[in-house]
Amino acid sequence: MDRNQIAEICKEVIYECVPDMEGTPIYEDTVINTDTAIDSMGFTLIICRLEAKFDVKIPQRQWSKMSTFGDVVNAFEKRINRRF
Amino acid sequence: MNAEREKKLIVQTKRTGFMDLLNAFSHEDPDRTAVLYEKSGAAAALSRSAFAEAVMERKDDLAEEFGAGTCLGVLCDGSLSCVLTIFAAVLASLQVVLLDENASEDLLAAQIRQTDIDCLWGSDDDLIEELQGCLTEGLSPQRDMTDARSLHPAQIRTPDEHPILFFTSGTTSSSKAVVLTDASLMAAAYNGSCKLPLSCEDTLLCMLPLNHVFGFVCGMLWGMQCGAAVALGRGARYYTQDLSFFRPTALSAVPMLLGFLLQHNLLNEELRLILIGAGDCPPALLTAAAAKGVSVSFGYGLTETSSGVAISVPPEYRVNPVCTPDPGDPACAPDPGGPAFAGPDACGRALEGAQSFDPYALEICPENTVTLADDGEILVTGASCMMKGYYKQPEDTAAVLKKDGVLYTGDLGRWDEDGQLHIIGRKKEILVLHDGTKLFLPEYESRIAAVLPGRDFAVLEKNGRPVLLLVDPDAGSAGESSAAADKARAFVLGAIRPVMAELPRGQQVSAVLFTDQPLPRTATGKVKRWELARQLPG
Repeated sequence: MDRNQIAEICKEVIYECVPDMEGTPIYEDTVINTDTAIDSMGFTLIICRLEAKFDVKIPQRQWSKMSTFGDVVNAFEKRINRRF
Repeated sequence: MNAEREKKLIVQTKRTGFMDLLNAFSHEDPDRTAVLYEKSGAAAALSRSAFAEAVMERKDDLAEEFGAGTCLGVLCDGSLSCVLTIFAAVLASLQVVLLDENASEDLLAAQIRQTDIDCLWGSDDDLIEELQGCLTEGLSPQRDMTDARSLHPAQIRTPDEHPILFFTSGTTSSSKAVVLTDASLMAAAYNGSCKLPLSCEDTLLCMLPLNHVFGFVCGMLWGMQCGAAVALGRGARYYTQDLSFFRPTALSAVPMLLGFLLQHNLLNEELRLILIGAGDCPPALLTAAAAKGVSVSFGYGLTETSSGVAISVPPEYRVNPVCTPDPGDPACAPDPGGPAFAGPDACGRALEGAQSFDPYALEICPENTVTLADDGEILVTGASCMMKGYYKQPEDTAAVLKKDGVLYTGDLGRWDEDGQLHIIGRKKEILVLHDGTKLFLPEYESRIAAVLPGRDFAVLEKNGRPVLLLVDPDAGSAGESSAAADKARAFVLGAIRPVMAELPRGQQVSAVLFTDQPLPRTATGKVKRWELARQLPG
């Protein structure tokens, strides 16, 4: 799975978990905490859904280090690639 | 409270500590479920006697491996093994420090050094490996509570008291390690259960981290004290599933967790009581929970008081005394009419004429006395639940815990006409967020100032999350959605990003706003945050 595919799935899950964001563009440098309506609980839900979707686990201690949407994609890309 | 439920309430007996609790587990209804936990994808039950045996077995192992006074840091993951280890280590006379396994490595390293931890327990081998270096650096041969004892004249450790250290729910290495004991924690659980008793048929779901005193006492010990089963939640990954998995009847939650559970319609039909604590809770959340037929109680307490000081009691939970009134307890005596207030029903006696229920009107828990200072600061006295002090921080201890045993909380309150306490704000430079954590503003702001030199700004709370307000004549006058504001915001976000990355997500700045006006300040130079907060948009 390439990075673009991972990013698209990440966006789908974000829109699914946070319906208020429907129609709001998400870019690589979108800062999760300030540029979106995602609070820490919402972020937890998104990461859990993505973990289930990609069948990988991101250690919880890494979650707070994911600042931008690009960081989220990077984290999953790294784990997914490590699997193969 | 209906008669059937009242019959199932266990007459509360105050437990003097963990050993006393385990003795009760072994000899009183030993087959009843003490703990529910996940095992191979299903909920498994551990009886009271089996729980006690498992603790004692682990205690013997720990006692054999470590000398008394060894300091064990427990990286809390909320598992059964974690709970057994905490109980066992305490009973093996180890000094126990509870740590957040999801905190950053830097914060954990600082806390390990701060509390002289000798060894670590946890389920994350990689993390323990990473932290090994901190253990030897902070090691010193003798580790007893001498340092903590010397913090306050009243601090005397008896052979039956075992220290457990909790970090205040703050942001950074400035968090203080609060020395509590198994006796103070059990006393807090007992006092709370006198006000808000669970029955032996209840299941209390523990979803909050055990390294926070609210999670430890109100998420776990409260249930154990009452003879209810305690279901051990499986952590953040299972927030959406744990209520349907364990089917609890009672839950302790922070406001943000309650909001999440309501938003995603996750409350199970058996749930009938939610205790909210560790932060200001918007009325809309309480109303939404009540609309689902769940009673909501609001608790007020501090790490320094081993959790609950005061609690609101829904009408259906008002009972005749289920605790054993102690004639020597000032909380059980009639209020002499002086300024000290112990609550008209401090021992659980029904309040006459109490018809409507205000969840923010708090009754004082037994064994605590609350008074208000002239400026409205809440002062708490309660020897049984009070901390021994901040670990190795005698000056900080003396600043809040006076020689007469009175704790200056830094919170502001008022009494209503029924003699119930209402929390109205903070005196200290602290923000209490909806995830139950606190921001110590001087340090938080100094870290931001280091990456935004020369900028005038303030951190405020909006919707339970921190926002950064900066003075910027161009961006402030142009409006929040202007190009000037966007440009300034991008610069600020880039500058503070490394600082934010070190903080838990809930404590990271959620918005950057601008003003073209100077920040209003007090005569001593402190920012008038309450004034600014009122002016925030939305």
